[in-house]
Amino acid sequence: MSTPDQSKGGRSRDEVLAGEYVLGVLSLEDRQKVERRMRSDRQFAAIVSRWEQNLSEFNEEYEMVTPAKSVFPKIERRIFGDAALGAHLWNSLLVWRAVALGSLFLAAGVVVFTITNNGISRSVPGKQLTASLAGQNSAINLLADYDASSGRLKVTPVAAGKPEEKSLELWLIRGSDPAEALGVLPQTGEGEIVLPQELHGKLTEGAIIAVSIEPFGGSPTGKPTGDVVASGTIRFP
Amino acid sequence: MANEETEALIGRVAMRDQKAFTTLYKRTSPKLYGVCLRIIGNRTDAEEVLQEVYVKIWQRAEQFAASEGPATPWLTAIARNRSIDFVRARKPVADEIDAAHDLADTEPGPEEQAIVKGEGRRIDRCMEELEADRARAVRSAYIEGLSYQELADQHSVPLNTMRTWLRRSLIRLRECMDR
Repeated sequence: MSTPDQSKGGRSRDEVLAGEYVLGVLSLEDRQKVERRMRSDRQFAAIVSRWEQNLSEFNEEYEMVTPAKSVFPKIERRIFGDAALGAHLWNSLLVWRAVALGSLFLAAGVVVFTITNNGISRSVPGKQLTASLAGQNSAINLLADYDASSGRLKVTPVAAGKPEEKSLELWLIRGSDPAEALGVLPQTGEGEIVLPQELHGKLTEGAIIAVSIEPFGGSPTGKPTGDVVASGTIRFP
Repeated sequence: MANEETEALIGRVAMRDQKAFTTLYKRTSPKLYGVCLRIIGNRTDAEEVLQEVYVKIWQRAEQFAASEGPATPWLTAIARNRSIDFVRARKPVADEIDAAHDLADTEPGPEEQAIVKGEGRRIDRCMEELEADRARAVRSAYIEGLSYQELADQHSVPLNTMRTWLRRSLIRLRECMDR
């Protein structure tokens, strides 16, 4: 494999090699060499991607052929696995970042709380304290509610930004059916979503729950309209 | 495949949206399966490779979301690459790198500029400048994923002749498109 070479000869060789790779005439071993070099040599990678763009006009010659129905379930099994790999409800980088960041704030908050409010909380039973936990560039915040009388700390996700602007809406997705609204998470962080009767039987293993950012009060169309910030498959713990 | 919608779908797949992945599969699998089948030549193997293609798409969606190319060529490149890897593994061919890349140096032009500037001509027009049999060889190399040996057999020319044909054609295409 030639080293990156800025001479005309080297450039011309690189052009040919990249073209041969994209045409597909190389051996498997040579293809892998080219791919390794693409990872370490950005200029060479750019030459390859230019050939890809140039020659992509030939793609029109490929005809559409519908694959057997059995193929997609196999793909799903390979990706999501029987062990529900990556299918946990909150398996979203975004959410985990927010949660990790949130718990840092939370740890600090709780410490401060115990120091400054020691004694006071006992004298005001039932008093609620809240904290809004935000991460940078995160689409969601976490709202922490502390009930001093019971010692219960509840953490609920809410849409980031001004409360009157956005809501988080929960969706249920079963197979290829359109998403069904499960409800809007209260922006106050209070309360839970109570599902309508007709949905009770539908939250079964394998169905997907997703959360999207919607205009305040929920999607105006009954379908998700904003970005999906988290999704995951329901499974038995 | 409307590119913009497909791009939006890949963006959602990058966020691990399984429903978007299902929709993406429904929308794009006939084209990508067409690619696999054309290169591999039988349904059983092509369907096996198609599975790998979509696993790759799931894994790499984030990379696509970060780049800004159009969606369909990106998807098609994954399907072509997986299919060509498959046929090369099934029927190995001789390595080419470090062997006889001894072409006469033509004028590649100002290199840096070539990369940043937009594409001059469409490939079709440049293909017309090649001799008919060479243009056919370039096209079938790409579309069917043929090796040098298979192309040489198909055109009844010696292997070395086919190498020279394709390499010179690549240089001429590049020159034409940079013009």
